[in-house]
Amino acid sequence: MHRRTFIKSAVVAGAALSLPTGFAPLVRRLEAAAPPDLVVVRGASPAGITRAAVDGLGGMRRFVSRGAVVVVKPNIGWDRTPEYAANTNPEVVATVVRLCFEAGARTVKVFDHPVADARRTYKQSGIADAAAAAGAAVRFVDERKFKDMRIDGLALKSWPLYTEAIEADAVINLPIAKTHGISGLTLGMKNFMGVMGGWRGRIHQRIDESLVDVTRVVKPALTILDAVRILTGNGPQGGSLADVRRLDTVAAGVDPVAVDAFGATLFGMKPAELGCVRVGHQARLGSMDLGRMNIQRIRL
Amino acid sequence: MTLLRRLTQGVFLLLFLGLFLQTESRGANDLGYPVKIFLDADPLVFLTTALATRSLDLPLFWVCVVVVLTALLGRVFCGWICPLGTLHNLAGALKRGPVRSRPANGYHWKYQFLIALMVSSLFTLQFGGIMDPLALLIRSLSVSVHPALQYATAAGFDAIYASFPAGVVDVSEWLYGLLKRGVLAFQQPLFLQSALIGGIFAAILALNLKEPRFWCKYLCPLGALLGFLSRYALLDRTVSEGCDGCGACVRTCQGAAHPDGKETWRKAECLACMNCDDACPRNAVRFGFRRGKGAVAPDLGKRRVVGSVLAGLLAVPLFRTTPRSRTGAADPQLLRPPGAVAEKEFLRRCVKCGECMKVCLTNGLQPTLWEAGAEGIWSPMLVPRIGYCEYRCTLCGQVCPTGAIRRLSPEEKAGVRIGLAMIDPGRCLPYAHGRSCIVCEEVCPTPKKAIWFETAAVKDRDGRTLSVKQPHVDLSLCIGCGICEAKCPVLGRPAITVSSVGESRSKDNQLLLS
Repeated sequence: MHRRTFIKSAVVAGAALSLPTGFAPLVRRLEAAAPPDLVVVRGASPAGITRAAVDGLGGMRRFVSRGAVVVVKPNIGWDRTPEYAANTNPEVVATVVRLCFEAGARTVKVFDHPVADARRTYKQSGIADAAAAAGAAVRFVDERKFKDMRIDGLALKSWPLYTEAIEADAVINLPIAKTHGISGLTLGMKNFMGVMGGWRGRIHQRIDESLVDVTRVVKPALTILDAVRILTGNGPQGGSLADVRRLDTVAAGVDPVAVDAFGATLFGMKPAELGCVRVGHQARLGSMDLGRMNIQRIRL
Repeated sequence: MTLLRRLTQGVFLLLFLGLFLQTESRGANDLGYPVKIFLDADPLVFLTTALATRSLDLPLFWVCVVVVLTALLGRVFCGWICPLGTLHNLAGALKRGPVRSRPANGYHWKYQFLIALMVSSLFTLQFGGIMDPLALLIRSLSVSVHPALQYATAAGFDAIYASFPAGVVDVSEWLYGLLKRGVLAFQQPLFLQSALIGGIFAAILALNLKEPRFWCKYLCPLGALLGFLSRYALLDRTVSEGCDGCGACVRTCQGAAHPDGKETWRKAECLACMNCDDACPRNAVRFGFRRGKGAVAPDLGKRRVVGSVLAGLLAVPLFRTTPRSRTGAADPQLLRPPGAVAEKEFLRRCVKCGECMKVCLTNGLQPTLWEAGAEGIWSPMLVPRIGYCEYRCTLCGQVCPTGAIRRLSPEEKAGVRIGLAMIDPGRCLPYAHGRSCIVCEEVCPTPKKAIWFETAAVKDRDGRTLSVKQPHVDLSLCIGCGICEAKCPVLGRPAITVSSVGESRSKDNQLLLS
């Protein structure tokens, strides 16, 4: 990674040196635009590939400023151990927490509003222990902190959302890639059902529009899709190792639609086949046009 | 001596309450501490269950300890250990005015209850848990007292949280967090009949205002059993010649032991509190291992014994003649916890202590009223609309003191069916209203989902074709956990419900030919 950073800066510096001084502002702008749209890293160590993906986007400092309160939102939805790929990989979560602190974050909050019993999902997923060891404040959701918020979106007028996610300086979305009955797949946008209160099951009636609405309100600074293991059947809960495939991959990007669009390809789907990606693209929440993106692929 | 006894009582009460509060999941598979140890030490639970089931596959060690202790020292369990007895002492301290100098002569009632319970147990009707003091206490705390305390605490802190300035809220939230970690449950427990069970408990405590330890003197069948056992206890009481019959001991006696009767001291009624020793102005009373004289055995009289035996006998057909016991006529809502043994055997074992309800993750285990017949009152039943059965949780079997719910490994539990889910197409959104949903499919926890869907084309009223996913239940995979019913967005009467047909513990209550 450092090699890449070095080459990048060397090229930019070399170009700048070879240009007349009047072009300097243009060069600076080029340099700022340099980070790729998506970084996809493959390698054996979940911690290593997570770190490389964030570095590839320009480092955590780009998303987390000194003293910031950061919410890291993994999927801790189900009472399953990590090898079943129903929850975000605990090493990926812990690494992101560490990166936030290295960037100067004051507080890193980790939580989810799971479907199954939270005590079991937090414990059995390995996430509570791993994130707490990395220094995060791991808390169960506090029902009092769901506040009805105006959304005025495609499907949702208003919905109770978790204030900590809305008030944070930065929200980092940490979904895992899984199949899902009603939405096809559950990736980044679907992961934000975990900041919703109330009777969430109702949003299944217009799931794609609802997910786009909620993502627009939460405004994630960064999405890191965990595909160390993916769940290819009986999702989102799984329970059989036969449905788990090991890809040893994470994909990171700023555009939530783009990350999900890429996630669809991991399952052999076209981005437009995934409803929330299509709707998110049409609603200009982001882009699903992977062909036009600068996707950096790294193998560790 | 009083101080030492109070200290011991306090230690055991705290130990009991500590274990009670620990009877809660922290997310791991095992609870890891002996939460049911008090019930394991309860000879009444042991005896009624052993009689009703005609088997001895029950924990034996602590019962033996209590039996030996009682045979040696008398009813020290009542006077020094029993947490309900200690609560009676505390409630009795609220009584104003003088204690009656001569307690009512109703101490035989508890022996009659005991005899009736034993006789009905002998004829397989297990009613011991209804009146057993430990089962009664755990049940009342689980179902009523703890939820009420939690409600009151939360209401208080929520009020502060909602309307006080930030500084105050910081302090109160810190305190609240502390309470949440130590004393409060993870979520507000809510139980059917909490008012009824709590009311009975309050009434039993209130009896202390009539007479301290009213329950222990006149009602407690465990006390009666220990009274029988203490008849030849080595610890004995002697009264020297110095006694002038002043009656000071009578006012301090915690039992109905008749301490001033030199020749008529009722040994079986003595709680070994030793208050009479402390109170005696002439220091004439002594407890020791020298054999005293003049103790009398409880005198019930033949009529009372015969009456109690008859009551115990008659209770069996009285409680059993219900159509609910016939296959196919059982209450379809009567879903028993996973690992529950077949219904007949279950009713013989369950002592209605409520530990399974206390420990249930989702609050889904609730006390029955009539669903299991009068015989099964306050036994556990899963109400999915209140809380489903978490797929990998096995806590109810871990805390059951009598094996009514077997202890399962997570692998075993995956193969246990407590009922079957069925869809009501008249209410289900994709069937009846052409709307997407299949929340039931999403939450179905079996590795290969028991709920699958079919993509169907339906027409709306304008004739436009819509594509919806309609759920189906695979009856060979469904385990009846009820998460589909719990999470179904059709509130009130959900569009998918679980009933007991197909439960693996029953040979007859089946649906599929297999």
